[in-house]
Amino acid sequence: MSTLQPLQFYFMHFMPYPDVASGRPQGQWVDIPNRRFDPKIGHKLYKEYIDELVLADKLGYDGLVVNEHHATFYSMMPSCSVIAGALAMLTERAKICVFGTPIALTYPHRLAEEYAMLDVMSGGRLECAFPLGTGMEYWVNPINPSFSRERFREGMDILMQAWTQPGPSRYDGEFYQYKYLNPFPLPYQKPHPKIYIVGSGTEETVNYAAEKGYGYSQVFTPIAAQLKSFENYRATATNNGHKPDSESIIISAMAFVAETEEKAIEEGKDHILFYFKNLLTTDSHLNSPPGYLPVDRLRKRLESGAIQESEVTWESLTSVYRTVLGTPDQVAERIAFWCEQAQSSKIILHLHVGDMPHWKAVKNVTLFAEEVIPRVRKLTSSALQVAAE
Amino acid sequence: MSVFTKRVVLVDGIRVEVLEAGSGEPLVYFHGAGTTSGFQELLPLSQSRRLIVPIHPGFGASDDDAGINSMLDYVVHYNALFDQLDLSNPIDLVGHSLGGWMASLFTVLNGRRVRRLALACPAGLRVAEHPTADMFTIRAEQVPSYIVSSPDALARIPSTNLTVDVKVGRYRELTSLARIMWDRNYDSKLTRWLKRIGVPTLILWGTNDRIIPSEQAKVWASLIPASEVGTFEGAGHLLFFEAPKAVGRLGSFLAK
Repeated sequence: MSTLQPLQFYFMHFMPYPDVASGRPQGQWVDIPNRRFDPKIGHKLYKEYIDELVLADKLGYDGLVVNEHHATFYSMMPSCSVIAGALAMLTERAKICVFGTPIALTYPHRLAEEYAMLDVMSGGRLECAFPLGTGMEYWVNPINPSFSRERFREGMDILMQAWTQPGPSRYDGEFYQYKYLNPFPLPYQKPHPKIYIVGSGTEETVNYAAEKGYGYSQVFTPIAAQLKSFENYRATATNNGHKPDSESIIISAMAFVAETEEKAIEEGKDHILFYFKNLLTTDSHLNSPPGYLPVDRLRKRLESGAIQESEVTWESLTSVYRTVLGTPDQVAERIAFWCEQAQSSKIILHLHVGDMPHWKAVKNVTLFAEEVIPRVRKLTSSALQVAAE
Repeated sequence: MSVFTKRVVLVDGIRVEVLEAGSGEPLVYFHGAGTTSGFQELLPLSQSRRLIVPIHPGFGASDDDAGINSMLDYVVHYNALFDQLDLSNPIDLVGHSLGGWMASLFTVLNGRRVRRLALACPAGLRVAEHPTADMFTIRAEQVPSYIVSSPDALARIPSTNLTVDVKVGRYRELTSLARIMWDRNYDSKLTRWLKRIGVPTLILWGTNDRIIPSEQAKVWASLIPASEVGTFEGAGHLLFFEAPKAVGRLGSFLAK
């Protein structure tokens, strides 16, 4: 068993717009009535959400994570770089994690420029994770989903060339030809900020991250499937001459902490269910535009019924997935267990979820920092000692 | 009535299925974006002709071709297939919907391979006032009511029961379609190119076409010099499936 490095706690925000449209079995994506958006409410929410992230920096979280989705009440971040720019100036210490803009949906050199700006502005605090982007994004961006994977990989090659080869350089690809690839500024961190690939467990994506020596972060999927992906990742990375460590894998969990278990459930449960039932729900028409999935993968999805996110039950959330509500001791015990189980020292916490009001998010972020993190550190360091003996 | 025989032809390493019926002068039919409703309605044409229905790569029983991602790739594919089938003398070419776009571009580039051309509610033109519906945004359960018009035709459409196999088959064909026309379901250049079609051309349309409005017929006719238009009252997008009269009209045009 590899050694677990000191744990790093990352607070992730989705920045939802909770005033969802009713009567939509297909969910809150792509063809939502956007006139429902009230900019005054949006302004209030941005301020609260950014306050929560800034508070997390003050409380000692190791990282603040933002991501990007388009045309959805799920997220008010169609550009995660805009929020990251604000955080770069408002925070002092935490890593700023753009997890991130789907590179296939933008010009790769432009993303290299924007992320370099963020790294320089924050004094070298940027971390990047690259997702393919959900199927839903491809309905609302003018990019062909049937070439999304090829375009993603070419985009990554361009970004890496832009960051690592002295400019100007030239690039001749299938999708882009650059006469002068020459981003300015360049990242603060050398050779570049830490890079992860975000995946849903597709073998192809896991292998891609492992072969390239990037880290790997898996979206909210059943724990058992994740552990299998991590095992494949480590084996493939090692076979390709890389040395994966416990920072190479990022896991994520939903947590709500309160004085008692009953209170944690009373205060947290409905917001988590709101997230699954109202925000995450989609249907196969919207989440699988033609060509987005390899045909055999669509068959597997349809046959396993894995597409029915709307049928996620509370029991499965707390057993099959990483969701925990309880006292600081209870939450700390689960978090420590999950990190050990996945051999991951980097954990993303979803501490604001769904339609959670500001006060509860502040309470949860604060209690987690002050009461849970020290307990998890203690548990994992003693486990390490036991393992070492 | 005759039935189709099926055979597999290898083109550039790709296995494609070719349906054939009847004998006589060859008549090639380029099908549209879906193959599930079959081609039985075309069989009357085989009474006096050798009817050939090649299935496009990426559709029906034909293999996928990872190298195909444009309409031009399909036209080049059909150049190869025609060589393979020894269709060296000019043949009659019919295209429906997506296949109409393909057949028109094929004729632009291979005028000498075509004797007569017929286009049934062809895709490919950008007509601002009467735009083509976006096949990708139509949900699976709504497709039948988009492609046919009459309740009788609706009842005859097979596989409206969306089993996993049907969904996967449809997804695969839509994927092939997305590879060539997700970005735009038209090619603005066609308006410039169609005047290069020098052969007699018949344009057929159903007046109740919900996919490609029949108003587009006169635009095609204005662009192709030697063209005539036949419209069929009440018929939808699966024109030959819904209106046997359209098959008759096509037969008499090609008999000339």
